[in-house]
Amino acid sequence: MGFSSFQTVTRDSLFTRLDFRTKLVMLVTITLIAFTWESPIAGGLLALAVAIACLLAGVRLTYLGTVLKVMFPFYIFLLLSMGFFNVDQVKLLTGKTELTPLLSLPASWALIGGATMSVEGTLYGLNIVFKTLTMVLIIPLAIFTTDVNQMTIGMVRAKIPYKIVFIFSSTLRFVPLLLGEVQSIIEAQRLRGLDFERMNWFKRGRVYAAIAVPLILNALAKSQQLEIVLQSKGFSGSPHRTYLHESTLAPVDYALIGGFVALFAGAIAVYVGLGVGKFYWLLGSAG
Amino acid sequence: MDIVAKLDRVSYQYPGAAAPVLKDISLTIHRGEFLGIVGPTGAGKTTLCLALNGIVPQFYGGRFFGHIAVAGLDTLDHPVSQLARCVGMVFEDPEIQLTGTSVENEIAFALENLRVPRAEILARIPRVLAAVRLAGFEQKNPQELSGGQKQRLAIAAALALQPDLLVLDEPTSQLDPIGTQEVFATVQALKQELGVTIVMVSHAAEEMAEFTDRIALLSEGRLAALGPPEDIYAQVDLLEHYHLRPPQVADTYHQLDRRGITMAAVPVTLDKGLAALPALQISDRLLPPPEFPPPAPSPTPPILSAQNLTHVYTSGTEALRDVSVAIHPGEYVLIVGQNGAGKSTLVKHFLNLLQPTAGAVRVGDRDTRHLSVSDLARSIGYLAQNPDNQIFNTTVEKEVAFALPYLGYSAEAVKRESLRALKAMGLWGDRAAHPLSLPKGERSRIVIAALLAMQPDIIIFDEPTTGQDYRGAKAILEVSRQLHQLGKTVIVITHHLYLMPDYAQRAIVMGQGTILLDAPLRQAYHQSEVLQSTYLVPPQAVQLAQELSRLSGQTYPLITPAEVARCFRPRQESSQ
Repeated sequence: MGFSSFQTVTRDSLFTRLDFRTKLVMLVTITLIAFTWESPIAGGLLALAVAIACLLAGVRLTYLGTVLKVMFPFYIFLLLSMGFFNVDQVKLLTGKTELTPLLSLPASWALIGGATMSVEGTLYGLNIVFKTLTMVLIIPLAIFTTDVNQMTIGMVRAKIPYKIVFIFSSTLRFVPLLLGEVQSIIEAQRLRGLDFERMNWFKRGRVYAAIAVPLILNALAKSQQLEIVLQSKGFSGSPHRTYLHESTLAPVDYALIGGFVALFAGAIAVYVGLGVGKFYWLLGSAG
Repeated sequence: MDIVAKLDRVSYQYPGAAAPVLKDISLTIHRGEFLGIVGPTGAGKTTLCLALNGIVPQFYGGRFFGHIAVAGLDTLDHPVSQLARCVGMVFEDPEIQLTGTSVENEIAFALENLRVPRAEILARIPRVLAAVRLAGFEQKNPQELSGGQKQRLAIAAALALQPDLLVLDEPTSQLDPIGTQEVFATVQALKQELGVTIVMVSHAAEEMAEFTDRIALLSEGRLAALGPPEDIYAQVDLLEHYHLRPPQVADTYHQLDRRGITMAAVPVTLDKGLAALPALQISDRLLPPPEFPPPAPSPTPPILSAQNLTHVYTSGTEALRDVSVAIHPGEYVLIVGQNGAGKSTLVKHFLNLLQPTAGAVRVGDRDTRHLSVSDLARSIGYLAQNPDNQIFNTTVEKEVAFALPYLGYSAEAVKRESLRALKAMGLWGDRAAHPLSLPKGERSRIVIAALLAMQPDIIIFDEPTTGQDYRGAKAILEVSRQLHQLGKTVIVITHHLYLMPDYAQRAIVMGQGTILLDAPLRQAYHQSEVLQSTYLVPPQAVQLAQELSRLSGQTYPLITPAEVARCFRPRQESSQ
């Protein structure tokens, strides 16, 4: 199977060989577990495991770096807001009446003076950071290791309506084209003397808004052309079609699907029964 | 003869349109023939193609009169998906029409939609790939193919349906010369070897004259003429009446005819044109070669220059290798070469969109490394291939004035400069119109006016004639001439060599990241081997002149049909 440009992974690994349905089950299972666990330790281990799996599958380190860079301001905001303001929920989860202070702002500061950031609140923030990180990383692990065609067939076989599947795969196909278009429009504008580097944010925003005009017009023209192309290729969105590529589940797929279902059941069982993954797990029980 | 498609008094009007785009067209297409469709922009060519597989009117709606039957199926009574089995379509834009993620997926897509069994799809893929010479490309991503390969893949995907009719709508208009050659060679092979019935719309007059069996000339929605190419292209007055370009061979012999040197039949293909030259009684009629003094070297220092310029992209591709070039104020320079030759990379260095890996680029005496893109935009106006990318205001006047305030112009100066630019480009009357309501040629003119308002000394036209019909291409080149006459330095990048003799003075031929030739235009056009090394073919007039030189033993450095014709003594004069 050839690698398309969307399959950024060039390394052949277990992940590239798995059926997309198996990866869909993995995606759903890991996401559900990440949502269930409140423990920053359990969440951190899960995020770490997914990150290692990404690296083993050949997802580039630069991609992971970019994800972290983009998410970083959001994570700082999460930690600060949870540390300072998430008091009641954390008290309920830990059973404590008083939270452990991490730092307090001088009382002399206007408006926020005297506010205290708690250890427990910050740890809860950390738990949400790991939750989102797990979800952000599990998607490329499933998508980047799958040929778009296999993805399409896997989704159709998973009973997702063919029209939706087609919109999904065409979006993957046309996003790079549109990004290229944006680049060429910005370049054309710079060549009309618009110096983006020296503009203030307000002016720059106005010019970017103006660029949307040719972009939308081009996109509309392209989508109409695409519609004509699809019509002339007999495309109707009907699921009643044949497939060049067959999508069959190998024994390893069955084993892994079973494994993920068992993992989910086990995770829920120990969460409910033993408290593994609860907020206070390994942090000192206050339950 | 077996009939594949029959149009019976077809008229069609798009919804909301003021007038019909097809008017009372009757036409029969026979099995195994290659029918060429020609006509100026707006003649209804694309609509006619879309009517053949039912997209017009089934997709668009509108008012449709008459009947079209393809392989016995009425296009009004049968859904497009059923007609898709009978009519394979290849469109103009190679990017938009390929939806698959691999070559084999692309071919399989339509077959899957039409529920062709998997075993049959697997059997057809190698057959059609072999037919378009893409065997071995099955697993490649279509986006990694060259323009010509993409169009060949689109042809293969259409062929896989085993259609009764293959319709190609301007499949070469966005391709470089090598891509164009690939597509025409493929189509010719399909016709000769597999007997495929072909309908092709194209402005490539020389190729259409050579390969088609019949030509249908459309104008304003009507079938203005129909006949073999040797009849249609021989009627140069008729073509000129409809703003179409004749093949240069036909044009040359037509001009000879006007000088009283009449042939039994005006040849329309190069082979016939070359073969007919001895019949012109060269020894009696041929005048001595005219003198073309070489242009004097410019006394002024260069306005644009590159010294030992090398550029390596981050991917490791060496796009320019040790290029040195100097362009002087007031020159009109043509830059030619196949895609990937380095033309755009060179020009992007002048605009500081790319920085040298080694060497230096100067605008005047300033190194571009010390200048911003917007600083350079004041000196160099750049017209992008797609003018629509540079347009986003609601009136022509606002568009022309848009960038000026950002460049620090006062309100009064903005008004003054935009008025001057609008008048210079003949847009004063259209100043209140929406830019996108004007035709493409006019939209290019709006962008040029916007560039002119910044008073640049140099204007670069990047592939301005791509996707334009003959009239549109000439109109833009006339603007370039006007700017040149105003004293601007003009640089044009194009593949259309036949358009340039009336405009450019100097040609820079690029290939594989180097300058293969930098010479006066006349001299460059006669360097056939250098041109061919970068997949360019000298215009037919040049090839006729070279044959004339061989036959007469004298050198005729001619480059246009008119020049070739003028080398013959008119009949009255020669008989005296």
